[in-house]
Amino acid sequence: MDDFISLEHIVKVYPPSVLAVDDVSVGFRRGEIHSIVGENGAGKSTLMKLLYGLVPYDSGVVKIDGAPMHFRKPGDAIAMGIGMVHQEIELIPQYTVWENVVLGAEPVRGPGGVLDTKRAIELVRRKIEEFQFHLDPSAQVERISVAARQKVEILKLLYRNVSVLILDEPTAVLTPQEIPQLFAELKRLREAGTTILFISHRLDEVLELSDRITVMRKGKKIATVAASETNKEALAQMMVGRQVIFTSKRTPHRRGDRVFEAKNLCVTRRDGLKLLDDVSFSVHAGEIVGIAGVEGNGQFELVNSIMGLTAPNSGSIAVNGREICGLSILERRKLISFVPQDRAKMGASLAASILDNAIMTHHRLEPRFAAWRGLVLNYRNARAFTDSLVQRFSVQTTSSQSPFRSLSGGNQQKLILGRELLLSTPFFLMDQPTRGLDVGSIEYVHGEILAMREADRAVLLISADLEELFLIADRILVMHRGQIVADLATERTSIEEVGRYMLEGKKTA
Amino acid sequence: MNIVVGLITGMIAGATPILLAALGGMLTFYAGIFNIAMEGMMLMAAFAAVLGSFVFHSWVIGLLFAVAGAMILALIFIFFSVTLDTDEFVTGIALNLFAVGSTTYLLRQIFKVKGVFTSKLIDSIPNIRIPLVEKIPLLGPVVSGRNLIVYLAVVATIFCYYLVFKTRFGLRLRAAGYNANSLDSSGVRTSRMRIQSLLLCAVFCGLAGAFLSLGYVTLFAENMTAGRGWISLAAIILVDGHPYGIALISLLFGFFDGLGLFLQSYGVSSQFTSMVPYIATLGALYVYARRNRERERKAL
Repeated sequence: MDDFISLEHIVKVYPPSVLAVDDVSVGFRRGEIHSIVGENGAGKSTLMKLLYGLVPYDSGVVKIDGAPMHFRKPGDAIAMGIGMVHQEIELIPQYTVWENVVLGAEPVRGPGGVLDTKRAIELVRRKIEEFQFHLDPSAQVERISVAARQKVEILKLLYRNVSVLILDEPTAVLTPQEIPQLFAELKRLREAGTTILFISHRLDEVLELSDRITVMRKGKKIATVAASETNKEALAQMMVGRQVIFTSKRTPHRRGDRVFEAKNLCVTRRDGLKLLDDVSFSVHAGEIVGIAGVEGNGQFELVNSIMGLTAPNSGSIAVNGREICGLSILERRKLISFVPQDRAKMGASLAASILDNAIMTHHRLEPRFAAWRGLVLNYRNARAFTDSLVQRFSVQTTSSQSPFRSLSGGNQQKLILGRELLLSTPFFLMDQPTRGLDVGSIEYVHGEILAMREADRAVLLISADLEELFLIADRILVMHRGQIVADLATERTSIEEVGRYMLEGKKTA
Repeated sequence: MNIVVGLITGMIAGATPILLAALGGMLTFYAGIFNIAMEGMMLMAAFAAVLGSFVFHSWVIGLLFAVAGAMILALIFIFFSVTLDTDEFVTGIALNLFAVGSTTYLLRQIFKVKGVFTSKLIDSIPNIRIPLVEKIPLLGPVVSGRNLIVYLAVVATIFCYYLVFKTRFGLRLRAAGYNANSLDSSGVRTSRMRIQSLLLCAVFCGLAGAFLSLGYVTLFAENMTAGRGWISLAAIILVDGHPYGIALISLLFGFFDGLGLFLQSYGVSSQFTSMVPYIATLGALYVYARRNRERERKAL
């Protein structure tokens, strides 16, 4: 079969010397779903941005139907029928679906440029029906779900008649329930003749969705394989360059004294809805307790109650026997290490330097970071601390003065994790610590969590990823509508059983 | 009766320059520019209007001069804040101070006077009498016989509403303010929308300035805008940029402006009465903030 789009010997260098894309040649066929997989920083996004005209490349040729093309800006690519949906959704929340879709290519009537609202809505409605997107063209974007917003982004490109869709990690922002729907829609688009280039590092998804898969590592193309002729282990090995084990490395470990205890916690919303409903559980030293549950079933309120961001209506929380409910957040941080769900908003300050982020909380708790009676920071100690943290947790960085945002997702998480680990608290609270990370980084984080267990710290791990819980947790608690509906020893349960509790609550017991 | 008519006509005259400047600022507000240069644009326009009208003995030329004067400041603003990407607030402050300094300097250099310049040679913008309407009791003297710019301001309010909410230009303009990345990725350059909004803002501020020096009164006085540009900014922010809301706030301010003058004729000291509109503004801010807090509490 002839390649519809072919990239030949593409090279991209980010000055001074980062070889982001290293002599990559790959062909895409008309009407296929072709996944590009690789760890964070492998160059898969860059390669697609080069094709889309968003980033200029240094050498190589892009051919469409055999004819060499050079896109200088995304508009050129769109004119040739190639559209890209970025990882961050760029829509206007204040606008309706149809306004977002037509923006930049609006139907107008008369010479004054008056919007032809009726025709615009009709055009958008027709596109929605054509691709069975189940969207209301007049709904306001800020009121629709993230999954629906993603559909609007795709619709925006389909409205401009693109025949090639590039999707940059579209599932990263979706909940597990929304992903199958997206896949069904993508497959329908493929049946309609659209070529889909799908960037991801989630191997299960890629195997389920794609016709062919191209694996990249460190800027190089490793291979292009048919999805039917490969498996997860083989892909992971190509991605990481070594064998990755997907089975548990958890070794038997005796649990110690009770460290964390929540008793009869209740959080009630203003309208009377119980967000946390009489939640009681404990975590012992040397134990990893996992919390499973569909998002929005009280996990958020539980984390906030523990960290002091929400005051529970009743109940108590104790760490090492000390009641923490009345304590300030700083006091709690002496007892609790915390890896929040949202790295960018709660876990770090993106604009601040790596050093600033590394010493956060430490600078309040440890006198060695203070000078002049705490009026200024002791930068010599702060630098030494940051350097050792960067080294110990192998964070890939050039300088501790660079802004935090310059780190890749995996390295950001390593830095946050390292910072929290070094707080040497008895209790560790982790909220989705591996979300958005690639296979190699996930393996690393899991290793660190297991090491904490060995060091007899108590870990509470909240995760939407059941496989993760089964890999490292000793016990799995399931939350459903604000209640803990099951407390299961990992050895004596199954993913199916936990899944049932997640969806149906206590009924099945 | 005469008092009521007088208060209402005073309110309209006081509201007009604020309304026009606020409509201009509203366009830049939607484009995502923190534009505080209305004060300076208006002042520059007021001076240029008197200059043009005095030299050519024509209010039409005066009006054109006024728009050109405001346009000069808009072009400087565009050069700095859009092209060079400087801070909008700092640029705006600099332009406002520049307008005060340069008009005062030019007043002394060109007209050789300090403080106020007036002359019989300045042609003021005419009042328009509407034939049949003016005969209607009560309504007639209010609706008819107002300055040309007043009627323009009414038309401009409706025009702006349609421009912002019903046209392609408006959709892109608001997109520039809501999410510039989204607009850029839709193939429309945000910077172009911002430039266009600033040029339109200059036209409106030009009209506002011309009204001050060729309509409201026929003279130029140093710093004669007296904070009206700032009040127009407050009006925009208070109603979140809705043109009809801006008209309402402008009328409210105009009312207190007129009330101040009215009280003056009853012997209240002028220093005190000139405070009245600003006290009213603070009052409005207080009410607005309270209402917002109520709404947020209900939303929770």
